[in-house]
Amino acid sequence: MVALMRLLIFGLVALTLLYLGLLWHFRSRRRDRMARDWQEAGRPGDRDAYIAEGMAQYERSLRRKLLWLVYILPVTAVALVIWLTNFN
Amino acid sequence: MIYLKWGWRIVFWTVVVAFLHYTLPQHDIVRITDTYEKRVNPGENALFWSNANTGENVAATERDVFFIQTFRANEKPMIYRNEDTGWGWPPYFKFNTSNLQALAADFTSRRTDETAQWVAIRHYGWRNEFLSIYPNAVALWEVEGPDTRIIPWFNIILLTALGALWWAIRVRWRRFWAKRREPDTDEWAEGRL
Repeated sequence: MVALMRLLIFGLVALTLLYLGLLWHFRSRRRDRMARDWQEAGRPGDRDAYIAEGMAQYERSLRRKLLWLVYILPVTAVALVIWLTNFN
Repeated sequence: MIYLKWGWRIVFWTVVVAFLHYTLPQHDIVRITDTYEKRVNPGENALFWSNANTGENVAATERDVFFIQTFRANEKPMIYRNEDTGWGWPPYFKFNTSNLQALAADFTSRRTDETAQWVAIRHYGWRNEFLSIYPNAVALWEVEGPDTRIIPWFNIILLTALGALWWAIRVRWRRFWAKRREPDTDEWAEGRL
């Protein structure tokens, strides 16, 4: 069981780092785009409020939810490999 | 300096290719002649034996390992070991060693048999007589004959994905540094300012 624990713990740490890194990357890209949009739209209203609204939209979006695939895909792949190797 | 640079590159890519060649699955078409079990004592070659933690004590220095003895289509012998990889590396997650051994024993077929039974063996690893290392059999199934062709779809997809990933990182790396490089012209040069 030690080997399984080691795989789970290191896997969880690695995937969490990847998840947080990608989340940070996508959020900062979104923030840059909202700032540019605000400029191009002719500076409507408060800049920070405009960006905050865009970020809130991102948090609700499908793209944001698809980021969970970072966890889902590797776990599915491992389950698939276990099935193919041992039970197929 | 240029020798050092190319020397490092050659060493690096040799290691990468060797690692992939060892780890990725390959297929052989063979005729199984015998299956046996042998006491092994991994020493300097311990890296090439997988002592997976699947319930047994891994601290034991001696253990019995299953082997599958075969002849390939060119009538040259090839011996496979049959060991669990468990939850460790390489990630085949193989736990069914004993079942695979039973299957291998069932396919046994000698040279003198009327019709030879050919099987495909999926394996990873290398056979090296000097180091006493054996490829690890992962799966086997019966095939029509010795010239059956198996298209390595998994390797094609994985190597393409790895190549794409390497390219994506390389392009971004270059772009990152290109932006930060000192400009060739300064404010005193012609055409600037």
